Amino acid sequence: MKDTRKIIYRIVTVTMAVAIILLAGFIMIKQWGLVEGYDFGGGAYYYIDIPGFEKHLPPDNVFTAKTPVWVHVVLFFAWGWLMWRLWLWLDRRSEGEENEK
Amino acid sequence: MKQSKISNLLRTEDWLSVWIGVIVIALGAVAVLTGWFDFSTLKFSQWTVGETLSAKDAAKVVPLAEQLTDWLFWKKFLTTFLTLAVLFGAGVKLQGEKLRKFIPAFIMLFVIAFVVRMVSAEFTLKRYLEWAFWALLIGLLIANTVGVPKWLKPAIRTEFYIKTGLVIFGFSILFSNIAKFGLYGLGIAWGVTPIVILFMWWFGNRILKIKNKPLLITVASATSVCGTSAAIATGAASGAKKEDLSVAISISIIFTIIMMVFEPMIIKWTGMGHIMGGALIGGTVDSTGAVVLAGNALGPEAEQVASLVKMIQNLLIGFIAFFVAIFFARKVDKTGKSEVGASEIWTRFPKFILGFMGASIVASVIFVPAFGAEATGAINKVLGQYKDWAFVLAFTSIGLDTNFKEIAKSMQGGKVLWLYIVGQTFNIILTFAVVWLLLSGVLFPVPDIKTFADKEARINAKKEAAAPVEQPEEAMDLEAAEEAAAKPAETTVEQPVETVR
Repeated sequence: MKDTRKIIYRIVTVTMAVAIILLAGFIMIKQWGLVEGYDFGGGAYYYIDIPGFEKHLPPDNVFTAKTPVWVHVVLFFAWGWLMWRLWLWLDRRSEGEENEK
Repeated sequence: MKQSKISNLLRTEDWLSVWIGVIVIALGAVAVLTGWFDFSTLKFSQWTVGETLSAKDAAKVVPLAEQLTDWLFWKKFLTTFLTLAVLFGAGVKLQGEKLRKFIPAFIMLFVIAFVVRMVSAEFTLKRYLEWAFWALLIGLLIANTVGVPKWLKPAIRTEFYIKTGLVIFGFSILFSNIAKFGLYGLGIAWGVTPIVILFMWWFGNRILKIKNKPLLITVASATSVCGTSAAIATGAASGAKKEDLSVAISISIIFTIIMMVFEPMIIKWTGMGHIMGGALIGGTVDSTGAVVLAGNALGPEAEQVASLVKMIQNLLIGFIAFFVAIFFARKVDKTGKSEVGASEIWTRFPKFILGFMGASIVASVIFVPAFGAEATGAINKVLGQYKDWAFVLAFTSIGLDTNFKEIAKSMQGGKVLWLYIVGQTFNIILTFAVVWLLLSGVLFPVPDIKTFADKEARINAKKEAAAPVEQPEEAMDLEAAEEAAAKPAETTVEQPVETVR
């Protein structure tokens, strides 16, 4: 039974991987998703990789935040600290369970 | 003791990558701000293998033969090579290695990197895959066919190039973008991202039983933050193996192609509003370029919102890499079960991360306020070229130093693929939930987004936002005059129909 599940898993995984690669290749051949006049695509990993990024990215006044910047900064660090504590807790818990085994 | 500390500052790879990065940033800043010299690197223009292009796109193509027969091109080739050779050569020498072995090896590595950049400048390949994919592939093909000669190995220094590239990269992470989309953007970008990372950490550990934790965190970071850039930073911070980084980046790049096309289609089919749709795209599609294009497919408003959310996510790279470095420095080894004290954490902590964060802080807190966002952007345009060359050298080195078996082993029997699929699905669901809560108008007012359809209007809007508001000379009605001065200029432009292929 376990071997059957392993075989099914392998077949599904390989099929999925091949399908994804073929689909990506098909999209590239058809040049889907591109915008005429935009000199970039998904290959521009980061904003400075976009040629002439200052022309494509929103200017500062596209949205005016009503909350002061310091509130954003405080919330940013507060949430980050919470998530950091959660990560440590998750990691210690999984280590504890592994040690028990 | 003191001498060994100073010696570490000048002889260890981590610190040398910081100093080289600082030198490049300083030279780039001086070059752009003063205009005394041109610090830009060799860059290929787009070329094609004969695809059918629109007139607009065809106008930007320069035939490869024309580029390769231009003497200015080769002049740039030489200056780029010399700059990189001097910087990395000095670094290698200070680490106690022999320059006479490094230089010929570096010449060959640079030539291969040159071929990588040439291939990735092809019109279609550039738009979908770019240099990371081709650097890995070309390196792998060489390593697994003709093989890598021994004399080339002194230049194969993946981590050195990556660390240097990351320090330079840090300058482009501007913390000043944190409030660009107010609490909406912060909630969508920062609220969701760490939860997705922790979910994938839990799922990879408990369900898929992936023991390789650096690989786990690298894939989680690539999925939840911004793809390749985040993977490079997190992979380096966690000490991920080169083949793990290759697998994480390859999966991210391939899925980005698919999501860039299908996510806007699905959003349109659901009838979701443009602001919500744009925010969903910004929070889930991996690369910034793909986010802009996918947002554009929904309209100018969606494109703006998608870009805003992605810009906030981009600034998370530094913080996530920093805390990942601390997390892994705590462990005795990468799958270690016990933790170490603070001084040991400092010893183990990858110092280049300090350079990475330091560059970001200097850019955000000193350069943007002192010289403005436009000047900092111009500096980053130049520094981005050095970042790319450093990463191309790194990824080419990875390819040259890896065989297909090692890559296949990193796939962990397909578990990494399922980790990405499940993680990205969770990312999309959670992002949608947060987007709905914040932007649907049910709980909070729908944000007012100004759309700037064409490039000129966008550039003018940027200039107006940066320029001081003029006071009217005669203020007969003082109140009206104060209101006029306080109001930002509105230049909303009707969107002409964009041709989407």
